[in-house]
Amino acid sequence: MNPAPRKLNLDEWDERYEQLCRDGLREPGYGGSLRRHVVHEKDFRLEQLQFDNSAAALRLWNFLLTENARLHQARARGDKIVGTMKDLGTVPVMAYSLPGVRAFYPDGAWWTPCLMECSDKLLQQAEAMGIDASFCPVRAMLPAFENGEHFPKPDLLICSTGAVCDDFSAIAQRLEHRGHSILWWEMPRRRAPAANEISCALPGNLTAPKIQVDCVRTELQRVGQALGELAGKTLDDDCLAAGIRAANQVRQLLNSLRQTVYSAPAAPLPALEMLVAEMLAIHFCSDHEETIAVLDGLLAEAQARVEQNQFVISADAVRIFWVNPVADLRAMNLLEELGGRICGSDYMFTHALDLIPENLPPLEALARIALADPMVGPTADRAARIVRDCLANRAEAVVVSRIPGASHCAREGEIIREIVRQQIGIPVIELEIPPVCDAMLPTLGSRLQALLETARARRL
Amino acid sequence: MIYAGIDAGSRSIKAVLFDTSRLQILASGLADQGVEQERLATELFEKLLRDAGLERSQISGVVATGYGRNAIRFADTTITEITCHARGVHQLAPDARTIIEIGGQDSKVIVLEAGGRVRDFAMNDRCAAGTGRFLEMVATRLDMNWEKLSALAQQSTKPAIISNMCVVFAETEIIGLLASGQPLPDVVAGVQNSIATRVAALAGRFISPPVCFTGGVALQSGMARALEEVLACPVRVAPQPQFTGALGAALSAKPANKNGDGGL
Repeated sequence: MNPAPRKLNLDEWDERYEQLCRDGLREPGYGGSLRRHVVHEKDFRLEQLQFDNSAAALRLWNFLLTENARLHQARARGDKIVGTMKDLGTVPVMAYSLPGVRAFYPDGAWWTPCLMECSDKLLQQAEAMGIDASFCPVRAMLPAFENGEHFPKPDLLICSTGAVCDDFSAIAQRLEHRGHSILWWEMPRRRAPAANEISCALPGNLTAPKIQVDCVRTELQRVGQALGELAGKTLDDDCLAAGIRAANQVRQLLNSLRQTVYSAPAAPLPALEMLVAEMLAIHFCSDHEETIAVLDGLLAEAQARVEQNQFVISADAVRIFWVNPVADLRAMNLLEELGGRICGSDYMFTHALDLIPENLPPLEALARIALADPMVGPTADRAARIVRDCLANRAEAVVVSRIPGASHCAREGEIIREIVRQQIGIPVIELEIPPVCDAMLPTLGSRLQALLETARARRL
Repeated sequence: MIYAGIDAGSRSIKAVLFDTSRLQILASGLADQGVEQERLATELFEKLLRDAGLERSQISGVVATGYGRNAIRFADTTITEITCHARGVHQLAPDARTIIEIGGQDSKVIVLEAGGRVRDFAMNDRCAAGTGRFLEMVATRLDMNWEKLSALAQQSTKPAIISNMCVVFAETEIIGLLASGQPLPDVVAGVQNSIATRVAALAGRFISPPVCFTGGVALQSGMARALEEVLACPVRVAPQPQFTGALGAALSAKPANKNGDGGL
């Protein structure tokens, strides 16, 4: 019988893991205790985190924390490795449409300084390469490419540029100057169609001029050609259509999981596990099939808990809509420790949660989903979706977390705050969360507590 | 019934004893903050009890707020400064719709609904340039106390322009201004304007009049005027502005003691 849902620290998870093994836990090849990631990978941050106590959560964490090892194994088996950068969720769909190709997301190295509590020195090494703290922590990716201690050197590097994060473009350019060849593709700034332009509907209730969709489609065609050359197989419409169906399977699962967890009377899964799970939408953590298995497990766990009226966070918790991913995972625990719960999220890739249209030619569908990226359009569009989701999920307050140095929109928080306040009148705060936020915990805690107090007072 | 509020701020500890039957502050006091926060707060609290001729047993509840609130273990509960300043200001100025609080280490803008409930708030978390720490640095550099600094600003005829957003670099700028013969009152007024500008940026577009100015920095002559200029609306200084947080904490102690839910 499963124990009641609760959060465990790493020591408690050691005991829980032993119990699960005694009870006959069946794990995939990457399974094992969470502790081993601290011992072998120096993921010291795990010692400061609280984890869900389910076997499904254990599988999720092991899946996340073994990505680099699995990529190295895939390389050894002869798979082609593609690094897809900046684009959040479109090129990986194309890469996974080809057999023997694995895409990963080097940008994901931005969590390495957090997980390793900076013992990896990646941020310092990035500074030595001329990318200092005025840039987003994604800069950790730069030395990770060179020291080979994390992910394998990709066979092909693809990066979107144009209407994307300036920081990232600068970091990727530095990478290229250091000898890592990059296939660039252009992403135009999404705009509303003019009166005399043909308009295209995009996922997420957005529209764009057809000319922009055509532009992105042409760019993706170029990307597809390069991927096909790498795989030794043409990336034709049939391949792509199958890849889109597979990606939609992940997106559907994630949407069911989000719906189950965020609409429940209390949270059946913690915020931290939900954040990690949602991230799988972008790149499948380098293994599409296993992503489905991991999400299936989490969804089953969440549904069972809701059915049994068992929750990991109390029903009284303040319902928070969270905007942007956090550089330090500890922040998600902190919110719950102070009496909040997540009831909705926009971790900067909401378009990767939308279903890719299956009734359009595949490249056209991918171009439309790529253009629906919240990062390539006006923040007001993003805020409009946040407002809709806040209303749908009965959010009581919004947290916009800032990533130190990130410059994709300097006024993002202010714009979101203004629109949320005007349209639904709930409080909004901005928090800057560095990769290791220990020194700031009292301050962060105070701000979150003030937000929760304010939201609770509004219940009266 | 009498309640106590302790505001353990970054620079000083403030305490208030409030009689909810007579709606009257019975005693208030302030002490410098230090490492032993709880001892300092206890000493201040006991002094207030002596001043008011009260025994500890006559206090029906104690709420701590402020940066160091969690260190005050004799408090029945803790509540954040946002809620406490809102309650304190609402008690003193019920028509206030925006509170600007500039403390030693941070600054806040709090928007109130009619009835005093917090609608939204923003806090400065980026630098010391919008806080009292900036004025403290200037006072130390000029080797003068807080009151004299305040009086000096009143004499300014043409406030200096402090262009640097970083307090550390602004100090260098101030040294340069003084070396170039800029009158002292103009430099101090320039610093006040610089703080006001930072706070205005924090407030963004969500200022609703009437605006009430509170926190220790509100005692500085000229700060309210500097805020009025950048916000383009009247700014009223709260009575005893350094105590509004502690007063709000004392006011919050009543329901907190009754309902055990932090008074919210």
